[in-house]
Amino acid sequence: MTSTNGHLRFAADVGGTFTDVIALDDRGGVWTHKLPSTPPNFEQAVLNALKLLLEKTNRPGESVSEVAHGTTVATNAILERRGARTALVTTKGFRDVLELRRVRAPQMYDLFWDKPKPLVERYLRFEINERLSAAGDVLMALDEPELWQLKEKLEREQIESVGVCFLHAYAFPRHERIVGEFLRKHLPKVLVSLSSEVLRVRKEYERTATTVVNAYVRPIMGRCINAMRAGLNSQRVTAPLLIMQSAGGLTPAADAAARPVYVMESGPAAGVLAASYIARRLSIRNIITLDIGGTTAKASLIEDGRVAYSPEYEVGASLSASNRLVGGGGERIIAPTIDIAEVGAGGGSLAYLDKAGGLHVGPRSAGALPGPACYQQGGKEPTLTDADVMLGYIRPGKLANGDITIDLEAAHRAIHDRIAKPLGIDVMRAAEGIHRIANSNTLRALRAVSTERGRDPREFALVAFGGNGPVHAANLAAELRVKQTLVPPLPGLFSAVGLLFGGIEHHDARSCQLTGEALTPTALQSLVDEMRQTMLAQFRSEGFPADQVGLICDMDIRFLGQASEIRLSVETPQFTTAILRALEERFKVEHERLYGHRSELDNPVEVVAVRLIGRGGKHAGESQLRPAERGDAKAESSRRAYFGEKWGMVDTPVIARGQIDQPAAGPFLIDEYDSTTVVAPGVKVWRDQHENLVIDTNGVSHH
Amino acid sequence: MEALLNKFGNDIHEGDIFVMNDPFDGGMHIPDIFVVNPIFWKSERVAFAVSTAHHLDLGGRLPGSSACENTEIFQDGFRIPWLKLFDAGQPNETFFTLFRANIRVPHMTVGDVRAQLAACHIGERAIHELIGRYDVETFHSCATDLVNYTEQLIRAEIATWPKGQYSFTDYLDSDGCGGPPVKFHVTLTVGGDSLTADFTGTSPQMRGAMNCTLSFVIAAVAVCVRSVLQESVPNNAGIFRPLKIIAPPGTAVNAVMPAASSMRGVTGFRLVDTVFGALAQFLPDRVFAAGEGGNTLVIIGGQRADRRSYVYYELLTGTWGARPDRDGNDGLCNIANIASNIPIEQAECDYPIRIERYGLVRDSGGAGKFRGGLSVEREWTLLQSETHLAIRSDRRTHPPYGLQGGGNGTSSNNILHHADHDEVLPTMISTRMKGRERIYHKQPGGGGYGDPLERVPAAVAWDVKNDKVSLEAAHEQYGVILNEQTLEVDEAATKTVRRQMRSRH
Repeated sequence: MTSTNGHLRFAADVGGTFTDVIALDDRGGVWTHKLPSTPPNFEQAVLNALKLLLEKTNRPGESVSEVAHGTTVATNAILERRGARTALVTTKGFRDVLELRRVRAPQMYDLFWDKPKPLVERYLRFEINERLSAAGDVLMALDEPELWQLKEKLEREQIESVGVCFLHAYAFPRHERIVGEFLRKHLPKVLVSLSSEVLRVRKEYERTATTVVNAYVRPIMGRCINAMRAGLNSQRVTAPLLIMQSAGGLTPAADAAARPVYVMESGPAAGVLAASYIARRLSIRNIITLDIGGTTAKASLIEDGRVAYSPEYEVGASLSASNRLVGGGGERIIAPTIDIAEVGAGGGSLAYLDKAGGLHVGPRSAGALPGPACYQQGGKEPTLTDADVMLGYIRPGKLANGDITIDLEAAHRAIHDRIAKPLGIDVMRAAEGIHRIANSNTLRALRAVSTERGRDPREFALVAFGGNGPVHAANLAAELRVKQTLVPPLPGLFSAVGLLFGGIEHHDARSCQLTGEALTPTALQSLVDEMRQTMLAQFRSEGFPADQVGLICDMDIRFLGQASEIRLSVETPQFTTAILRALEERFKVEHERLYGHRSELDNPVEVVAVRLIGRGGKHAGESQLRPAERGDAKAESSRRAYFGEKWGMVDTPVIARGQIDQPAAGPFLIDEYDSTTVVAPGVKVWRDQHENLVIDTNGVSHH
Repeated sequence: MEALLNKFGNDIHEGDIFVMNDPFDGGMHIPDIFVVNPIFWKSERVAFAVSTAHHLDLGGRLPGSSACENTEIFQDGFRIPWLKLFDAGQPNETFFTLFRANIRVPHMTVGDVRAQLAACHIGERAIHELIGRYDVETFHSCATDLVNYTEQLIRAEIATWPKGQYSFTDYLDSDGCGGPPVKFHVTLTVGGDSLTADFTGTSPQMRGAMNCTLSFVIAAVAVCVRSVLQESVPNNAGIFRPLKIIAPPGTAVNAVMPAASSMRGVTGFRLVDTVFGALAQFLPDRVFAAGEGGNTLVIIGGQRADRRSYVYYELLTGTWGARPDRDGNDGLCNIANIASNIPIEQAECDYPIRIERYGLVRDSGGAGKFRGGLSVEREWTLLQSETHLAIRSDRRTHPPYGLQGGGNGTSSNNILHHADHDEVLPTMISTRMKGRERIYHKQPGGGGYGDPLERVPAAVAWDVKNDKVSLEAAHEQYGVILNEQTLEVDEAATKTVRRQMRSRH
């Protein structure tokens, strides 16, 4: 049912390989399109899809009320080192802070590991005579003639973008501001990123790295956003362009262009956001999200309806299971981000044998090219997708976009030659082994966000998406002892769906060090009030008066002398002694939950950072998603699928989501446009009023 | 663990938790506390959860419980032989009382012991879950398989190594008490699928506190062997099975009572350098030249203005030697440990110190076809009245070695800037430092690999552009002549100079 009036909201999630686009009308009507990405002009695919969907829905460009965009442009620029010619300005004596990082390697025992090259080489890191003490005293004042010399050097080196990070500028930004003002005035074409404008958080390496990443990707991000805007205008779409941030809210394009380091993890964040939206509609407070794509599996936690944030993460690091713990493989970013644990266990993850005959899956991936062996694009090594095809979970034949045909024989050959034959085992057992090892890797991500944080998965529901999430979800849920698993509509386009559910959101943070007598409501209040004013001013400039902005205040708290802190929310940013006491008590409870112990009784707590989250307006789109195009599953009515030793090969009914009208016991294979949901024999599945598949994984034993 | 079982044998019950830090009772050195939680399943002991942590302070002669010139373990700190921290679930209050009274920052140390307890509980819970899901027989057989699997992987690889005997010698500059260099000698014997590391010929145990236990030597050899493997293997006891370690008692690598060992870390790093040096003789394409040779400890401790004690424990690390096919990493944690730096902004907020500089040192990497990593320097100003200063550094007279014709890395240095003069401090020292004085430390640079005259001139030019190598060193060490303005390679002049340098060799 198509109407020519009414608004259309448009979302585009641009990944390295595919671009997913969705249009949603006022009545919940949904149109989707998946097409190959068009690097380096990523906006091209989006604009092509927009044109197509406007034609399909028979609407003019003016009817589009919002364009929400998730992008990997910034992340790709880092991974491929295609950023701007960037310089860094530091305090005298500290130009190597960026290169030394935290002096860590992501793993031991690897003598041939190379520290990634710094984004700004040493000769483009300029030291300035200036120094503030930790208390803000000027130990060495800035000297204007030196700034003129700096200007000359930047010109001579043809610098496009410059980051400035001085010691203690998180608390005392005055020197950075002087340099910023000077450079903006005298080098108007050079983009200037000040650490104190990016994020006012203590720890010089992390803040430097965050500022440098921001500076490095800023021109590319700006060009991409400008090109997108121009393309939208040419299709008479004048609606605001909004970009998804790593922390899960949308921000106006101009803000994203100035602070691209806030949108690095745009796509993954959108998926978590969509899951939180679904949970809210179903009144489920606690969920674990599972997103399995081509190269990785990602997990995140939503508790009491809130997403969990991470104090820092790394960009540009290659995947390894230990990264999360040790770090060192990439640049460490402290921009606000949803806490997402990631392991190299996606459909393209390669399976191989070590010298002792041990079977491994990932983190190396077959990538988009050659891809899994069954894609017949030259890949000879077996991947997780090959195993899932062998097991009958993934349907052989043409893939959704029609360019690729999945060949069962090729999957069989790869697994037989590389795994089953050397081990002297049956091909099906080998395939099952690959599937289970990938699951066990994925469990590490799921556990990292749940049990390892003192959360009992039995109190959570699993929401599975990404092309491969629904294939593995039920088995993983059983392992994790999650009681209920949800597979939302359009699981393969879920991140794009999430873009439609984000409101405008801004995040700010400020390091402090308040303990003992200094930890008073007044001290906190003055800090928060200052942050609140800055944030409300930003919202006002974006068209949101103060009464339309909701604010949440979080605090990073630790025991005095500890190195790691716990983040807790305070509902209202109005502090009283009673609120502080309650917070302290909550901190101790949470500490015990996380680490299994409390500190010595007399150990005082310390507030080390205050964070402010502002949400503008209402969350849009409470409407139901009603896909205009239903998945097709008519090609076959059953497929042989393997369900472990207990069941063996089973003739499994292949059905469409819409065919499940009442609860039924598996086995089923629920084939859709972009994914397959696997339901094992005896496991109950139904479809709820919002089109989600609900799998009852309570008490299901793993095979 | 052997010592624990010998001592308590059948007296290990549910709810018991054991504690120990005594190097002469199975421990490593005084600051390392071991907490052991026996795990039971239906009254049968099935496993142990063990946690080890290096603590900030365990009493003893000086803050940080570590000083190179300690000559007896009693100076190192509070010694805990194996005993019960919890007896059938009841905390050993006598121990906790005695413990708190003998350490400098009890709220920190005891808090960290609690964290170790929590870690053990988590381990226990995980093992219980595992056994609950499968059963105890499956658990045991899988655990056995996993250890066998590691052993099998390592044996398979050792079997591909050329049989024979290979020796190497390396040194600590001093015994920590101003004495002579300490010699470390190893002979590796590759025989079939096993490896013997014989440390006979190593110096007798030293007066100072860098002595180590046999367990530490075994660990050092295991690190080296794992690092040259082409497969990654699970970390478990299977690693040790193909290795035979000979370390005569009474030597620096197997000390006996009452040797001090609090600063034994640097010996571990030197053992790793020694074993790598021997491995390089038969696996030249898998071993790198020597790195900085271990992290430097700089400990500043005393009382604040309000008389509260503080211990600022700075651990400076490190840089890598050049590899057979690439440069060493500039400024990176030593391969034999995982450590991080302390953020300057955090340190200056928490302690009465200011950091004046922190960076890489030009011309400090050993020259070679592949250049050694640059050394790291750092300088601290003390912002309050006189305080204690201890430094553990090394490799001033025995700099990190290069391989296959690569040059050595540069030496380390410690300079105390007094108000009116500069004083070069010994590599290992405990002394006093006055307010407003600055202490400077420069780490050693990494060794180079291969002939510097074979280094690609463009790589030398790039290093000069980045101020990692000077114009002079480019000429003198690499025979590369650059245009002083553009820093481009003068190909003709470089050819001539390199020819002359080769003929001089």
